[in-house]
Amino acid sequence: MFNQINKSIDSAIGSGAQYADARILISKSRNISSKDGELEDFNNSENMGLGIRALVGSSWGFYATYDLSDKSLIEAGKKAYLIAKASSKVPGNDFPLADVPIVQDKYVTPHEQNPFKVSSTDQIDLLVSSTHEMKKLGSSIASGRLNFWDTEKWFGSSQGHEIYQNIIESGGGISSLSIGDGETQIRSYPQSFGEYRTGGWEVIQSFKFLDHVERLTEESKRLLTSPQCPEGTRDLILEGSQLALQIHESVGHAIELDRILGWEAAYAGTSHLQLNKLNEHRYGSTLMNIVADATLPGALATFKYDDEGTPAQRVDIVKEGIWTGVLTGRDSAAIAGVSPGGMVRADGYGRLPMVRMTNVGLLPGESSLEEIISSTDDGVYMETNRSWSIDDLRLNFQFGCEVGWLVKNGKITDMVKNPTYTGITPNFWGSMDMLAGKDEWVFWGTPNCGKGQPSQIGHTGHPASPARFKDVRIGVRG
Amino acid sequence: MKIWENLIEDTKKIIPSDVQCEIKMINSIDSLTRFANSHIHQNVEEEMTDLYLTFHSDGKTTNLNFNITSLGSIDEVVKKALSEIENNPKDSSWSGLASKENSYDGYRNLSPENPDLRAQKVKDFIDQGGSFNGAGYCSSNVSNVFVWNTNGLSSSDTATSAFLDGIFRSETSSGSSHLGHKTLENIDGEKVGQEAYSIAKESQNPQDIDPGVYEVILGPDAVSTILVFLAVYGFNAKSKVDGTSPIEIGTEQFDKKITLVDDPHKEGALNFKIDASGSPKAQTEIITNGVPKSYFHTRRTSTELNEKNTFHEMFGWGDSFGGLGTNLYLQPGGISKDEMISNVKKGIYINEFWYCRVLDPITQVVTGLNRNGSYLIENGKITKPVGRLRFTQSFMSSLGQGNVLGVGSENRFADSEFGEGILNVPMLHLKEFNFTGGVSG
Repeated sequence: MFNQINKSIDSAIGSGAQYADARILISKSRNISSKDGELEDFNNSENMGLGIRALVGSSWGFYATYDLSDKSLIEAGKKAYLIAKASSKVPGNDFPLADVPIVQDKYVTPHEQNPFKVSSTDQIDLLVSSTHEMKKLGSSIASGRLNFWDTEKWFGSSQGHEIYQNIIESGGGISSLSIGDGETQIRSYPQSFGEYRTGGWEVIQSFKFLDHVERLTEESKRLLTSPQCPEGTRDLILEGSQLALQIHESVGHAIELDRILGWEAAYAGTSHLQLNKLNEHRYGSTLMNIVADATLPGALATFKYDDEGTPAQRVDIVKEGIWTGVLTGRDSAAIAGVSPGGMVRADGYGRLPMVRMTNVGLLPGESSLEEIISSTDDGVYMETNRSWSIDDLRLNFQFGCEVGWLVKNGKITDMVKNPTYTGITPNFWGSMDMLAGKDEWVFWGTPNCGKGQPSQIGHTGHPASPARFKDVRIGVRG
Repeated sequence: MKIWENLIEDTKKIIPSDVQCEIKMINSIDSLTRFANSHIHQNVEEEMTDLYLTFHSDGKTTNLNFNITSLGSIDEVVKKALSEIENNPKDSSWSGLASKENSYDGYRNLSPENPDLRAQKVKDFIDQGGSFNGAGYCSSNVSNVFVWNTNGLSSSDTATSAFLDGIFRSETSSGSSHLGHKTLENIDGEKVGQEAYSIAKESQNPQDIDPGVYEVILGPDAVSTILVFLAVYGFNAKSKVDGTSPIEIGTEQFDKKITLVDDPHKEGALNFKIDASGSPKAQTEIITNGVPKSYFHTRRTSTELNEKNTFHEMFGWGDSFGGLGTNLYLQPGGISKDEMISNVKKGIYINEFWYCRVLDPITQVVTGLNRNGSYLIENGKITKPVGRLRFTQSFMSSLGQGNVLGVGSENRFADSEFGEGILNVPMLHLKEFNFTGGVSG
């Protein structure tokens, strides 16, 4: 494969590119969905191709093809150069590239059972039996899904990188939807849209779906007759998977250096963060310690090298509430004068690599969910995301959860439906005053992060444990 | 296309007679030139040929998809599919293959646009922005689709599209514009740039206003967001099958001024004239004078609901998604933008929505924000730019009876959160829209 990659790279450099790199990918995926005890979709997918990018002046040119013949690979290199060169009609300052180690290496995701070698019957049976049970218990729509990815990736560059990686990811989840008079209520496990990790079939087995079908069905039905979440300003306690999404939206995207530099301004937006405030800006309370760590075993965004050949690493993002780090690529790091963090990835061979969150997580505190609840006089405990919306500076957000529980005088009392909360990023993080510890710290994974044009879907990780936020606006409704 | 003809010839030789098989191929060249900080920084092109194969035998179904490189030998693929299918449970909602009579020949051998012309369109845009910071993209696409099945159906179609979408930013404001057409040469980069610049300029130094219920004028991109949510969560027949659709056919659910059709044959429509079953699409009334007339059906949903298939199956999407119209046209009214503004006593002009998410599909209550140009209108005149507002509003009610005060006279393709080029819409003047938060939360 590296011979083929080098043909394309040599062609781009020979045409005039100052730098080029290329990836050949063989990507397999399996998607299974079940509804009401029946198989809804079963799809096996496989594709293979090359993507090459060439740097000319102030622009990347990128060309992707499924045709891996010598002629096509050489042509792809030329096209990447010519596409980049066409950009010179509207030029900017030349892109520098930060130095990274030039390595030849191999990496395979540690796993016990490759999900593509496990019988699809077992996988289908797990979903069908879970949804069948929920339907039997009275769920209006019982649904489940499993997704597996096995990606082989060969990366080479004009600087001499030769890296092979085989990344294996597995995940899924189940939901019970109850339909009432003009409303729906849903409960999901392990989180909404499922939970995803690096690893094999053992990831799915660890979820033990069948142990949760009764609770999900009962709660989704009970929500229909529960009172609305009260409106007002109260203490908010977030369960880990909801906090993971809060991190993703209000920290993870805001610290992407390409956004801060304006490269995503027209679509995903920019950021409220300004580089000249790095190491000064207060992001949150002193309990807030965020790291971006692509080396965490089993987390969804764990690998050994990113799609520019930069080694995976752990980078401090927020230390005791102060903003200290950003997510970078080789070009953006060089422009900003920071170290490249190994955070550039692409969605398949056909997309240009871009800055992507790795495992951007909140380090655990020293409390526990039990202690948090017992020390709360008047609050709402919210579990499992249902809706999410945030402005393009990553400041003004509103989240909805599947279920809320009123907390009165240190005890959970009533279930409430349609819980929502809204806030402004630094105020919200500044109000975090209790954080659960390591025992409740989970590597939550998000497999559906959209960014870029053409659109790319990224897989990101967000380790988190439950936390409390003081005086939050709760219960916004239309 | 030779590659397709060869594949089908090879397949015909090896498919057992008791197996139903459908093969779809999407062959496309997608190109996109992206600019930020007023220069082109990313410029990409992808050539793809993806295959989607469905096999049905003994009441069971399996789906495989490959790109042409990973396909290997079709003989091996068929063997794999037939072995896999045995492991699957019965497929109770299988609705068969399209009939041979539905065959359609629309393939045209077209070449992609070149990157120099895209760069020129970007330059035309940026040149309108003065000292403001420009960002956006110019894209072009040629797509071919082919469908064959063991009933003898053989269909094909070709579609092309080009878009220029950009914003200008000042220190305190931003403004956007968007144009789409079948060909890049028909995109007027200067016009798009002038509109985005004008909005950014007029939006400088926005002021906060109190949240509450306001009259609104929605630009085409904001209108398309509302309609695409209703299309996906309401008119998609899969949501009706699931019991989560708020749409009731034949009931006066929308304002009389709302008429929406899906028409692949309308002059300038950008998307395919066949659906993913290979069947030709026809003009379909979706809403007529406020009354829902049809869901977007697939083979499976039309069987499950016992309604006529409208042929809205999507290429590359699974059965769990359902159907969607991709050539949607909201009937224009007769009101110009200036006239619409002059009709507002106190309201807000919203150019674009951002990050909208459904709180409950059955009520269609959605939360989201405004961006890229919003103004307060008082006594028929724009009086000042306004800042960030969060809304929490039912999209059903927003187009409900009596809430649509006016429909604009000019349509254009508009961007939406689910993609561009599927909605061609005018501006709308709505009586009430619920803003639940401002800049401070």
